Amino acid sequence: MPKHELLLLKNMSQPGYTGSLAEYEATGGYQALRATLGKTAPADVTAAVRKSGLRGRGGAGFPTGVKWGFLPKDYQGPRYLCCNADESEPGTFKDRQLMERDPHQVLEGILLACYAIGAESAYIYIRGEMVLGSKILERAIGEARAAGYIGKSILGTGTNVDVWVHRGAGAYICGEETALLESLEGKRGLPRIKPPFPATHGLYNKPTVVNNVETLANLPHILTRGAEWFAAIGSPPKSTGTRVFCVSGHVQRPGNYEVPMGVTFRELVYEHAGGMRSDKPIKAFIPGGASAPFLTPSHLDVKLDFESVAAAGSMLGSGGVTVMEEGTSMVWAALRLMEFFYHESCGKCSPCREGSSWLVQTMRRIMAKRGRMQDLETLSDLCKNIAGRTVCAFGDAEVAPIQSTLKYWREEYVSLIREAEAADLIMPETVGARRES
Amino acid sequence: MLTDKYGKEIDEILSRYPVKRSALIPLLYLAQREQGYVTEAAMKEIAQLLKLTPPQVYETVTFYTVLNLKPVGKFHMQVCKSLMCALAGSDTVIGWIKTKLGIAPGESTPDGLFTLSAVECLASCGTAPMMQINDDYYEQLTEQKVEKILGDLRTTGTSDLKSGPYMWPLPVAVKGEK
Amino acid sequence: MPDTTKSTVRLTIDGTPISVPKGTLVIEAARRVGVMIPHFCYHPKLKPDANCRMCLVEIEKMPKLQTACSTQADEGMSVRTATTVVNDAHKSVLEFILANHPLDCPVCDQGGRCDLQDFSHQYTATTSRFVETKRIFQKNYFSPLIETQMNRCVQCLRCVRYCDEVMDVKALAPAGRGTMTEIKHFGTHALDCEFCGGCVQICPVGAITSRLSMYEYRPWMLKRADTICGYCGDGCQITVQTKEQELIEVNSTYGAGRNNGDLCARGFFGFHAAKHPERLTHPLIRRNGALVQTTWEEALEFVADQAGKIKATHGGQSFGGLISGRCTNEELYLFQKFMRVVIGTNDIDSSARYGHLNGMQAMRRVQGTHRWTVSFDDIAAADVLLLVGTNITESNPITGLRVKEAVKKRGATLVTIEALEPSIEAISNIANLSLHHFCVPAPRIGSAVLGLLKALVEQNLAQPDLARQQPAYVRAVTEALGQISWQDVQAVAGGDAAAYAAAAKVLAGGQRVVVLAGQSLLRSPDGHSGSLNLLDLLLLIGKLDQPGCGFAPLSEENNDQGAVEMGAAAEFLPGPFDVTDQESRSRIAAFWKAEPPQQGGASLVEMLDRAEAGLLKAMFIVGENPVGSLPAQVGAKESLRKLDLLVCQELFLTETAALAHVVLPVASSTEKNGTFTNTEGHVQAVRPAIEPVGESRPDWEVFVALSYLMGTPLEYAESRDILKEIRSLIPGYGSLGPAPMPPQVNRSAIDRYLADGYRHDLAARYRLGATAARPDGIVQLELVQSLFHSGKLSTRSRGLMEVEGSGALRVNPQDAARFALKDGDRVRLSNVRGEMTTTVTIRARVPQGTAWFPDHFGQTAAHLFECTIDPVTRTPSIRATAVSMMKVA
Ligand SMILES: Cc1cc2nc3c(=O)[nH]c(=O)nc-3n(C[C@H](O)[C@H](O)[C@H](O)COP(=O)(O)O)c2cc1C
Ligand code: SF4
Ligand code: FES
Repeated sequence: MPKHELLLLKNMSQPGYTGSLAEYEATGGYQALRATLGKTAPADVTAAVRKSGLRGRGGAGFPTGVKWGFLPKDYQGPRYLCCNADESEPGTFKDRQLMERDPHQVLEGILLACYAIGAESAYIYIRGEMVLGSKILERAIGEARAAGYIGKSILGTGTNVDVWVHRGAGAYICGEETALLESLEGKRGLPRIKPPFPATHGLYNKPTVVNNVETLANLPHILTRGAEWFAAIGSPPKSTGTRVFCVSGHVQRPGNYEVPMGVTFRELVYEHAGGMRSDKPIKAFIPGGASAPFLTPSHLDVKLDFESVAAAGSMLGSGGVTVMEEGTSMVWAALRLMEFFYHESCGKCSPCREGSSWLVQTMRRIMAKRGRMQDLETLSDLCKNIAGRTVCAFGDAEVAPIQSTLKYWREEYVSLIREAEAADLIMPETVGARRES
Repeated sequence: MLTDKYGKEIDEILSRYPVKRSALIPLLYLAQREQGYVTEAAMKEIAQLLKLTPPQVYETVTFYTVLNLKPVGKFHMQVCKSLMCALAGSDTVIGWIKTKLGIAPGESTPDGLFTLSAVECLASCGTAPMMQINDDYYEQLTEQKVEKILGDLRTTGTSDLKSGPYMWPLPVAVKGEK
Repeated sequence: MPDTTKSTVRLTIDGTPISVPKGTLVIEAARRVGVMIPHFCYHPKLKPDANCRMCLVEIEKMPKLQTACSTQADEGMSVRTATTVVNDAHKSVLEFILANHPLDCPVCDQGGRCDLQDFSHQYTATTSRFVETKRIFQKNYFSPLIETQMNRCVQCLRCVRYCDEVMDVKALAPAGRGTMTEIKHFGTHALDCEFCGGCVQICPVGAITSRLSMYEYRPWMLKRADTICGYCGDGCQITVQTKEQELIEVNSTYGAGRNNGDLCARGFFGFHAAKHPERLTHPLIRRNGALVQTTWEEALEFVADQAGKIKATHGGQSFGGLISGRCTNEELYLFQKFMRVVIGTNDIDSSARYGHLNGMQAMRRVQGTHRWTVSFDDIAAADVLLLVGTNITESNPITGLRVKEAVKKRGATLVTIEALEPSIEAISNIANLSLHHFCVPAPRIGSAVLGLLKALVEQNLAQPDLARQQPAYVRAVTEALGQISWQDVQAVAGGDAAAYAAAAKVLAGGQRVVVLAGQSLLRSPDGHSGSLNLLDLLLLIGKLDQPGCGFAPLSEENNDQGAVEMGAAAEFLPGPFDVTDQESRSRIAAFWKAEPPQQGGASLVEMLDRAEAGLLKAMFIVGENPVGSLPAQVGAKESLRKLDLLVCQELFLTETAALAHVVLPVASSTEKNGTFTNTEGHVQAVRPAIEPVGESRPDWEVFVALSYLMGTPLEYAESRDILKEIRSLIPGYGSLGPAPMPPQVNRSAIDRYLADGYRHDLAARYRLGATAARPDGIVQLELVQSLFHSGKLSTRSRGLMEVEGSGALRVNPQDAARFALKDGDRVRLSNVRGEMTTTVTIRARVPQGTAWFPDHFGQTAAHLFECTIDPVTRTPSIRATAVSMMKVA
């Protein structure tokens, strides 16, 4: 039994809850919308969200109300809301659950956000593989439309919002907000250079807000129970509310756990997820999805909030917590993630594109016991040369696994290389050193 | 021609967007639903519908992994091999399928029924190891489950082991497997 | 354009202070203080994409390094480009870019002018840390003219972006993702596009190269000549590169010429014509009925001797002269001087007669100029553009780029009237960019212009000031238009009243309005009246005399404009001044120390008639081929056969030259000095890239030699001497600056026109054309421009022949269905005048009910057309006719 009050997972934790409109309404669903539309000025909704301290749950943790405030005030043309349901960060699987189990909660959040920012069209960009999720959302949209929550003059208030499900087609990068917009425009999902930001030049070059599913799902709760109430949950002032953490890896009970921000990793792993799956102790964990640097058991008492995790040298990211037991090869783990990043690099900018192919090949060589000592320096140089120099944050993400494992478990790399040396499998110097450019 | 068969659906798709090109991926899905992959004729037709050049359609298709430019087996088995699933044994799952069907990732069975791919994270890490077959997810795979899924697909074209709306862990009052 | 560009910001680059206009990119600001920031993906023509990350710089107060190519200079910014951090960043990015780059510089055509090679020398150690496997792409056939070497690609996407942003062609697809992204066309299909060569030129490495010059050279071995392309009136600057008299390739440079580095297929791939094996290399003389090789001495003496005799017997009036608008100004000038002074006749004409004169005469009459009052830059800066009768992409591709720039980059509104269906094809279509497009059959474009005018006056959109000051003019126009019913407009030109009304509103609402007119109007029977009516339109909306506004008839041949200005027309002395204008006559007579003939001369078709009647005894034809280009009905061949002396100066033995008594081989524009005047009136230098082929000589040398032999020497030692004379005689040739100021309208000419000048032909001009019934089986056949050809020269160019090797009839898909045709089928076209058989290609841009035949393969089709002559400008119109079409086995 969870010992904290659940917000987002509350409905679905009721056995038998199917997420239909009727059931959602029965638990107080769409009351926030009824109470807000036409009654609270859009600017006041934004102010309330700012006051609640809600920060984006998609990865970057940007304060949501502040983001909305960047939209041009006097702009006359259309504005758009895009719900980022691309959830492709390895280790993250919360948005899927929110959408498939309680779709109306997400829709209500979308409608509230549209009202606040003055958008009449919202697109839910859901990753292409989630066919079921898109069908559930479409059905829910149909229900909501029939009930007058979506469409022209919602609940007779004169507010118009249309919501569409738009399926992506298999590209992690389309979770990055500007790549998402490109993809939604029917193009290759290549991130745009910023500035300009989506707030002024977003979808079809119009003012646009991109928000994560979980971020939006919080809105009905904030608007029914008040910004102050929300701001008191978790670890105020900077990390308010709850978060749905996705626990995976070598734990007893993997899955999604909603806890107030600020509980420790120890509590999440040992109390909620039931501890390690075997008697092997924990060796490492990733605190916030594949893009977050690995942490060690010594970080178990770090609090799960934005600042504490950042201070520990990692990031809370998308909330994907992956736990690895003793005996897991950290070089292998980093390589697995590196393979993901290599596969998903969009190819737009050279450091990320070339760097990912270089890194993955070097890592494979080391793993295959054909490494050389110089490789370690090359690896960390490459990581350093990628981070901060790319078009989007993917570059920073892709180096995190290697940099952090090199930092904490360098000896594992070294011993693989030693084995290579011992077996005389080392690559002949000539292959590399004599290449002229 | 897609327009002949799906005229209404195409119009509905186009009506969702103020700019035509946005309908590109939805229309490509339509084409793929029709033939299992995106044919050249479909790309040309879609280009014409959206006032794009065929290269513009083509460049988009090649960017996305869900869109196929070549035929795949009737059942496209995509096993997640990312770290989280790998920690739970996804390599073993691939091994099982390899022995049962005699195909490695990237290959299809000679009867054209199954194609095996190793893919990246599908947002099921909590219920790893898992795979997607066509539109459906199959999670918490065991050797027995894989066996049954393959059998079901062969005989009935579907399997009741596929996942419903996702939730893990399950609500406490409900006991047992999902 | 909003005024924001006016304000400037101050910043420092490596400590050097500089002020730049707001919006300037840091990389450009740095360039201004002489700091070259290394870059691959940046190109001033393209929107910043910042994908290569090569241009990273340090900017004070910004935590991360920034890309100079996408960051705008800001007030107080302090940029550092030379710190260790920046240098390390450049080194590391270069290391990444080189990681997958092959080491094939020795066999790469880009070697020696490769950005990657240059930066590598600047930054990297000679050993690479990259010991992994390089990505390898399978070599694929890409296209007949353009080759890709994807292993060399640095994925800057400049080619793709250029193809889309500048050309609007969108033929290149970056396929795949990550390191395995490669530039393709469509699946495994070979590239099909405009072949402008832009991707080849803009690729910073050797990933996209021209097949015409593959493996033929190293850049440093080549000799370069900056000259002007001779294929169309746009007058692009090109650099012809040669190796020991061989033409190797053509380039253009960003920032240079009116084309600013852009070219079309003709300019980029059409350069081989001069070295075609069939070039005439020796003078030919007719002996016993056959043309045989002879010496220059003998040929010239024969001509001088015969001409002298004819002149003595029949007088100068028995001579006619015809010259091509492809010759240099110097040659055109000297030719007319030769005809007027040495021979003594005004029977002179040039290819400008075919249409360009219609526009020029209209401008002279209404606004008192013979040139555009706008420049290419005004087109790009216009907020409303009206294109009438021009498939501009295919006839004047580079002017077309300025139109695209106005619409795509600056949001201008485009209104188009042309026999052109909007379509997405391998060749970009200007109608796709248009807000109001009227697809009107070519012969009735003039009627659509009337529809527009009618909508204008009916909505009271005429300038109130004008109505106040010139009420009679406005009333007359309004009344004339009142005679026309919307029903008739619709029946003749199509398009309903509402469509015209909407377009008229747009035009009247524009600030900077430019009207471009092209061949479909200028070469039609309405060429002259339609031009006048368009000028009326500009007058009515009060824009004719406004800065940045004006009427711009597009010239087809590269020097049509020059031909008229040099006086190579019966009715014009150099200037152009009317032959009858006493003041100009005396000025010129004083200069020439000889009086130009008094009598107004005969135009092209009139000369042929005079020859037919036995009045004309001798003709000098320079680079023109009336037998090949005029319909059989005109009887050019028969007429020319009657001449006692026909002298042709030619590159090739054309149908006309084959009839000559003497054929003199002359140098092409690749082989001589001179100047061309492009369609916007810009005079540009032509320079030789190779020596004249064989014994060929520049045309002007022939005139000089003949003048000596005929006893009235024209004394010029080189082309430049002629230019000197032109400069002192002809306004606008005084200075050949890089950016010409277009002339202003002549206010008093406008006033004269408004007061009275419009009157005499208003009723005739404001009359709709006839509706043509189009029974089953009949199509309207039109001679059109093709993007890949221009005149006969281009058909001697192997590059262009690769793309379009023969004249095929282009038909609309619906018509194809109607006639049960597919690509490559053969059809027979026939009418009372004759018949022809040809193959068809199906093209969506061809309007239904019409079929297009490319003009430059037109010999086979010419006899189907009839020729109507404009009573005022004496322009023959031969572009459209009705034929019945039948599929044949
Ligand atoms: C490479 C990359 C992938 C991302 N993937 C996702 C994603 O799958 N889902 C998501 O919500 N945000 C993702 N983001 C974050 C988005 O860019 C963006 O910050 C977020 O959608 C904003 O919503 P929020 O403010 O509500 O978090 C990703 C960012 C990057 C750089
Ligand atoms: S043909 Fe015209 S547009 Fe093309 S390159 Fe030559 S001058 Fe320029
Ligand atoms: S030139 Fe700036 S990123 Fe390429």
